[in-house]
Amino acid sequence: MNGSEALDLARWQFALTAAAHFLFVSLTLGLATFVTAVQTWAVLRRRSRQGALYERMVRFWGQLYVVNYAVGIVTGIVMEFQFGLAWSGLGHYAGNVFGASLAMETVVAFFVESTFLGLWIFGWHRFGPRVHCALLWVVTGTAYLSAYWILVANGFLNHPVGHTQTDHGIELADAGAVLTNPSALLAFGHIAGGAAVTAAFFVAGVSAYHLFRCRTTGEDAGGDADDAVLFRRSLRIAAFTAPPALLFTAVFGGLQLSALASFQPMKDAVWKAETAKIARLQADLVERFGPGDHVPPESLTRGAALLMLVAFALMLYLSLGSALLAFFRPAVERFRAWHLLLMAMVPLPYVAMTAGWVFREVGRQPWVVHELLRTEDALTDVSAGAMRVSLTVFGTLFALLLVVNWWLLLRTARRGPRAVTLGRDERVPDGGPSPEPDPVPSY
Amino acid sequence: MEILAAALLGFFTVGYLVLGGADLGVGMLLPHLGRDGRERRLVLAAIAPFFLGNEVWLIAAAGVFIGCFPALEGDLFGGQFAVLVPLLAGWVVRDAGLWWRGRAAHRAWHALCDGMVTVGSWAAALSWGWLLAGLLTGDPTGPAGGPAAVLTALGVAALFAVHGMAFAALRLTGPPHERVRSSTGRAGGAGTFALTSAAMAVLPLAAGARLPLTDTAAHGPVLGLLVPALLAVTPLLVAAQAWLWWTFRGRVTGPSYL
Repeated sequence: MNGSEALDLARWQFALTAAAHFLFVSLTLGLATFVTAVQTWAVLRRRSRQGALYERMVRFWGQLYVVNYAVGIVTGIVMEFQFGLAWSGLGHYAGNVFGASLAMETVVAFFVESTFLGLWIFGWHRFGPRVHCALLWVVTGTAYLSAYWILVANGFLNHPVGHTQTDHGIELADAGAVLTNPSALLAFGHIAGGAAVTAAFFVAGVSAYHLFRCRTTGEDAGGDADDAVLFRRSLRIAAFTAPPALLFTAVFGGLQLSALASFQPMKDAVWKAETAKIARLQADLVERFGPGDHVPPESLTRGAALLMLVAFALMLYLSLGSALLAFFRPAVERFRAWHLLLMAMVPLPYVAMTAGWVFREVGRQPWVVHELLRTEDALTDVSAGAMRVSLTVFGTLFALLLVVNWWLLLRTARRGPRAVTLGRDERVPDGGPSPEPDPVPSY
Repeated sequence: MEILAAALLGFFTVGYLVLGGADLGVGMLLPHLGRDGRERRLVLAAIAPFFLGNEVWLIAAAGVFIGCFPALEGDLFGGQFAVLVPLLAGWVVRDAGLWWRGRAAHRAWHALCDGMVTVGSWAAALSWGWLLAGLLTGDPTGPAGGPAAVLTALGVAALFAVHGMAFAALRLTGPPHERVRSSTGRAGGAGTFALTSAAMAVLPLAAGARLPLTDTAAHGPVLGLLVPALLAVTPLLVAAQAWLWWTFRGRVTGPSYL
């Protein structure tokens, strides 16, 4: 039978895979939106010089998006199967409500997203510019749809609505309530904003790196002037996007915090460190659900929330300053200390995102479905040994995926727009014009 | 409704094994079909535009499974824990190998990624065989054991490879294609692929027929919303996939993005 060891291992496995998956998703979602906007602009202006510039931007940022997306999908596969592998109690008890949104996510959103992404990546020169751009619109639209369905599932776990209780578990009573669950909708706004912030900081950091290096190597080395224009434009777009995206995220974060008092009073009390209220709620919950510790890990929950807010404050002040500086071309081109700062800021959104998830998910413990199903009761009957093997396998794999993904992202980013292979014309032997042949054989 | 839900589950699973089975099979045969890095890149180009669209069939099948048969999904996945961990790990390794190969230009990097594709494809195919062995013997709650399970796993993996070979015969050109022809002889036409596809389709249907699907379906209110919604979008999904296959129907003559 399961000891608490198997429970701890299963929770670690879920926490690590979810956190790793989310590191990819947040950038993917934001970058997809950015690339879609740029490609749309490229299509609208396709007969002008501007159009050519935007086309190069699409290929460069698009390749970074595809590299990141690829690892996001393989980590997502493991996430989906994990519900059944480690948490079969969830399916037994709440599957009637919870499972449907996962089904909709995979079939209605993810299936379409992947099919169209295949068409977009490999069909670069097989469609006209408008059709090719429309493909990316479908990819990005379904990516948001996918996020919505996942948050419907997650929102239900945090704030179960629209269900009735039966002997064996719960049943769906009001689909409308589940689909418009404020816990899901507010989180969706928060995540959509956060993804935009992540992408804005990423684009700004990579652009700053190239502008920093342009000044070091001089602009004469063939083509660097074109690259400088591309990165100046990218940096500006990112700098002007970040502050509104941050404020948008903060508004939805604030709404979630204020809803917490009624949705999850215990998380709210822990976050506000109201000791007396925690004790009172604990006594209430023991009365309602029987003996047990109903207080989530306090320092972790509160610490994660504080970390998120500190990261937010840092990002807000720095991005307001960046938005002002971005108005001045000399600063964009030559302010090297600012370039370094922008590069250093790339990890900040990830810190805020991960801390926010820890606050949301650790803060609702000991429940997997809030006040309906305890985490320990959802665990599959798997031995601690099997769970240890699976945690080792997926932990190692995900760590490697994370490291290699960032190595490839940084490598692709560093090599710049002229080394991009996405969108090369496959019909031309050698993969189309490549002004800078690789010094190493490419096969 | 339960019957329709089971039909949807069967449809997506069959879709995966027929389409995704072909790219897994090609991955298994990668060292045989392509003798150097350049040829292997061509072989991978044969599956490049499709593999992403193929594997979502399985993701959709798992989604339909958890949505329409949540309790059975938990029992089956939990019971087949030891089978699904190598299946998923193999899948992840193969995909990473495919996506990463073209992103760096070092001989050793290409060799490593080719190895990941081959090993990952074999791990996934053998795990599929093991999983089907468990389902066909009628006990989904535990991994199958004994010589019968080993033989089934090997047989199913061989079927994946043959299916991949039949697919490669339709897609490749040049020396890799000649290598396929030397293995298949005159049998490498569309008819052979249809035959291996049918074999791939029979497997999950035979396994699914032994699962207590209609007794374990989700409750009426859920199925009443979910099944019609899924049925309504399925033709659109099939149309999108058909467009993908039509777009990349020509034989492969040069390397792709991968």
